[in-house]
Amino acid sequence: MSWWKFLLPKRASGTQLDSEMRFHIDELTEANIARGMPPSEARRRALLEFGGQEQVKEEVRDVYRVRVIDGTVANLKSAIRFIRKTPSFSVAVILTLALGIGANSAVFSAIDAILLRPLPFPDGDQLMKLTEYDSKAQASQPFIAPLRVEDWNRLNSTCQAVAGYYIENASEISGVLPEKLTLAIVTPRFLNLLGISPELGRDFNSEEEHFGGPNAVLISDRLWHRRFAADPEVIGKRVVLSGFLRPDLIVGVLPASFRFPDSDVDLWTVGPPDGPYAQNRGYTWYRVIARLRAGVTLEQARANLNAVQSQLGKQYPKTDGNLTIEVRPLKETIVAGARSSLWMLFGAVSLLLLIACTNIVALLLARGVQRQHEISVRLSLGASRFTVVCQLLTESFVLALTGALLGLFIAGAASNVFRSLAKELPRVEEIHLDVRIVLYTLACSVLATLLCGLLPAIRGTRGNLSGTLAQASRSQVSARTPLQWFLVGVQVALAVTLLSGAGLLLRSFQELGRVFPGFDPGHVLTFRISGSYGETVDWKALTQRIDRTIEELRSVPGVEAAAASATLPGVPTNYPTELRFVEGEQDPLRKMVAESRFVTPDYFATMHIPLLAGEVCREPQFGTVPSTLSPTGQILEPISINVLVNRSFAETFPGGSTILGRHVQVLDNSFLKPDEAGEIRGVVGDAREEGVNHPPSPTVYWCLGAPGGPDPAYLVRTGVDPTAMASALRSKIKQIEPARSVFDVMPLEEHVNDAFSENRLRAILLTFFALTAVSLACIGLYGTLSYSVTVRRREVGLRLALGALQGQIVRRFLLQGLAVTFLGCAAGWGLAAGFTRVLSGMLYGVSPSDIVTLSTVALLMLLVAALAALIPSLRAAHVDPMQVLREE
Amino acid sequence: MPIEKSDLLQGTLDLLILKIVALGPVHGYGISQRIRQISKEVLQVQQGSLYPALHRLEKRGWLEAEWGQSSNGREAKFYKLSAKGRKQLASEESNWHRLAGAVSQILQTAS
Repeated sequence: MSWWKFLLPKRASGTQLDSEMRFHIDELTEANIARGMPPSEARRRALLEFGGQEQVKEEVRDVYRVRVIDGTVANLKSAIRFIRKTPSFSVAVILTLALGIGANSAVFSAIDAILLRPLPFPDGDQLMKLTEYDSKAQASQPFIAPLRVEDWNRLNSTCQAVAGYYIENASEISGVLPEKLTLAIVTPRFLNLLGISPELGRDFNSEEEHFGGPNAVLISDRLWHRRFAADPEVIGKRVVLSGFLRPDLIVGVLPASFRFPDSDVDLWTVGPPDGPYAQNRGYTWYRVIARLRAGVTLEQARANLNAVQSQLGKQYPKTDGNLTIEVRPLKETIVAGARSSLWMLFGAVSLLLLIACTNIVALLLARGVQRQHEISVRLSLGASRFTVVCQLLTESFVLALTGALLGLFIAGAASNVFRSLAKELPRVEEIHLDVRIVLYTLACSVLATLLCGLLPAIRGTRGNLSGTLAQASRSQVSARTPLQWFLVGVQVALAVTLLSGAGLLLRSFQELGRVFPGFDPGHVLTFRISGSYGETVDWKALTQRIDRTIEELRSVPGVEAAAASATLPGVPTNYPTELRFVEGEQDPLRKMVAESRFVTPDYFATMHIPLLAGEVCREPQFGTVPSTLSPTGQILEPISINVLVNRSFAETFPGGSTILGRHVQVLDNSFLKPDEAGEIRGVVGDAREEGVNHPPSPTVYWCLGAPGGPDPAYLVRTGVDPTAMASALRSKIKQIEPARSVFDVMPLEEHVNDAFSENRLRAILLTFFALTAVSLACIGLYGTLSYSVTVRRREVGLRLALGALQGQIVRRFLLQGLAVTFLGCAAGWGLAAGFTRVLSGMLYGVSPSDIVTLSTVALLMLLVAALAALIPSLRAAHVDPMQVLREE
Repeated sequence: MPIEKSDLLQGTLDLLILKIVALGPVHGYGISQRIRQISKEVLQVQQGSLYPALHRLEKRGWLEAEWGQSSNGREAKFYKLSAKGRKQLASEESNWHRLAGAVSQILQTAS
């Protein structure tokens, strides 16, 4: 055999078969000649004996034909014919599936982008977040001293690098108006650790990473486009920032996809680790990330870093003794909060898809009955049951695929809506449709095919052939449709499940609206004014600046009160601190942990938080204390600090009336000098500072002139609509602080509402899905009842002819529909018990088994179902008996 | 009286072909001749069913085909048994014997 024949396809090619047959005929001819025939006669007889050559060729070709493909093509053709012949049916199925699959793919695209994909950095799974745990205060500390970051980076053996960052607001003053920019101050190694290099220009060089070196910034792609019109010559230009730190020279532009640590960072600058202000192990400001070495596990890194830290603890027992290091995947720390909401929504859309499929099963079953004759004929003509099932499944598949393609468009539109609704979700800008979503959608359509098509196909092809063929459908008295009714029940049950979930979330909102937060968020405008942490070198000047600003704000006509605070009331922020009383005995077993808030003394009047006992606090005095940070060796620091405590604090920690005048001290000292204490001047009412959905915890209000640093939140109570005052206030600030920018201008009420934006998003979406589910279930009920009415027309006609009243007929059909709905509701309650348990962490003020909600949901479902059932029932009563009987 | 193709039990032709091929590489013409000779002209295989059967067996991997020289020096396609075909032959042979045994048992008892 020649080698090249290997290259031929294995199937018999025509010429090969020809020569094979020619050889056979030649041999026959020769045998005939050997028997003494003349050559022409011998050939004729040989050909005759061989028989029809074309027929042989055809049969041999049949051997090699791939039957599956031919069958599939034929099935596809017939499926498309079927769809074109029944346009309204097909459109209904396709639209239902498109909605179901589209919603599912949209939510999946969010899950994929937010939860499943690694962070958008090379080997993003190696990135970790490091925090400190203070075993004495029993609290996690997100902020780390720069010295410690450098120590961790130098001493560990499991990380490629450890780096830190923090964000502050800055004013860029080279334009007409000062513009507020968000500035990230990072340690050396930051970009390298993340595996990112600038799109344009370079990373910081070693000179810039040292104290006293040139000031350099990297700018975001956004800022590059906004301020520099994407000028390729931007490297070497300058940004002018007001304040003490003056990073100037633009050395690079970062890629548009780079949004770390936050999506609104405009500038990155390097904080030199050898700067004099960074030499104190108690001054903490960096958040810390690390990249593990290849092959190192989380546990190994944790063990190694803690070995490093315990060594540091021995070296610096005072500052480092109680600290351990917590290591968590960076992705976890970013997305963990969104996880439960997303999976809950995914569960909801999956139920929706299930309802859609159930609906279609019912439609296909009804259609199957109409096609029974056709199918029987095919079966009796010799089609195998498998073939017919395949054909029916192909029809479902074509429907599902069309639905899925349409669903992809819906998903595209839906994820745009999702992106704009869910701005607060992490990584939301990474949501987009791509190959994975398309594949997922295709998988959905295959699943839908099997879910929708298999049961009707198997059911449609079973049973007694000859019986069906012989039986004229007209002689039937009534058709039983228990399976269809079961499916309607399933749809109702699933819809009730979703509706219960939506109802509970909505009730939670209602409950939240009823809560009195303890402060009055109405008519308060909030904003920030840019400031630099450099200003904290001189606390007295900073305090005076903020005091003056508040004073000027108060002088604007229409302003009733003004104050500043480190945090906004009602916006979730926690700052648990461990305290002790300076005077009197301490209960050694009872830890005194309270929330710390930092406010100016006018805060209580502005927020309408009542003073219950004592008097309002005063701003601290300033005194000179020795410091290594100042060239003079001395700095001004606040002394004699006043505090107010809330009612919970006064009740939780003993003292009663004697609590006034006592001093509290912070144990894990991070914002006061070790020997400093705050004097309790008064007791105020409880306010839900940490979020309206949180009961107030014991709280200490530290009254400071510059609460929380250089850019506190300003709170201005106005007599009129607060937004109407915004421009007046802005121009006032422009007058007194021309080099500072005003930003985050928003009524406090909006901030408080925004704190629930994720709750709102899931409530809106779940309600939307639930309403869709209810509509689908009603369509299912309507369709099945209509079908039942059509099939039983003759029975109804007979009954009417025999004297039944129209009302009886209506009641009969209506009750059938309602009975199924009722059973569905009952089953739905059972399912809801499971589903709403998932919601329990998302509820406020209602229990997952809230009977009012569940009953309302069931009533609503019954009501809507009654409406859906009424139309076909009425139609049944209007059957004309004479006409029906004449049809016989 | 020669038995025509349609009278052959389904699957019998495959068995006969496998058996003949098991004796050594042989071309289509040779197979039809041998079936006729060995069965003393009782079995005559129609070419119309022989060639589809050969190709079917080849596709199933029971036969392997190779082009070679026939005894009179012409190019012919020779079939030989594969390992898989040998197993198939053994099992079909024993099936056949069981079937034939059973049938003759019935014929004897019932007469």
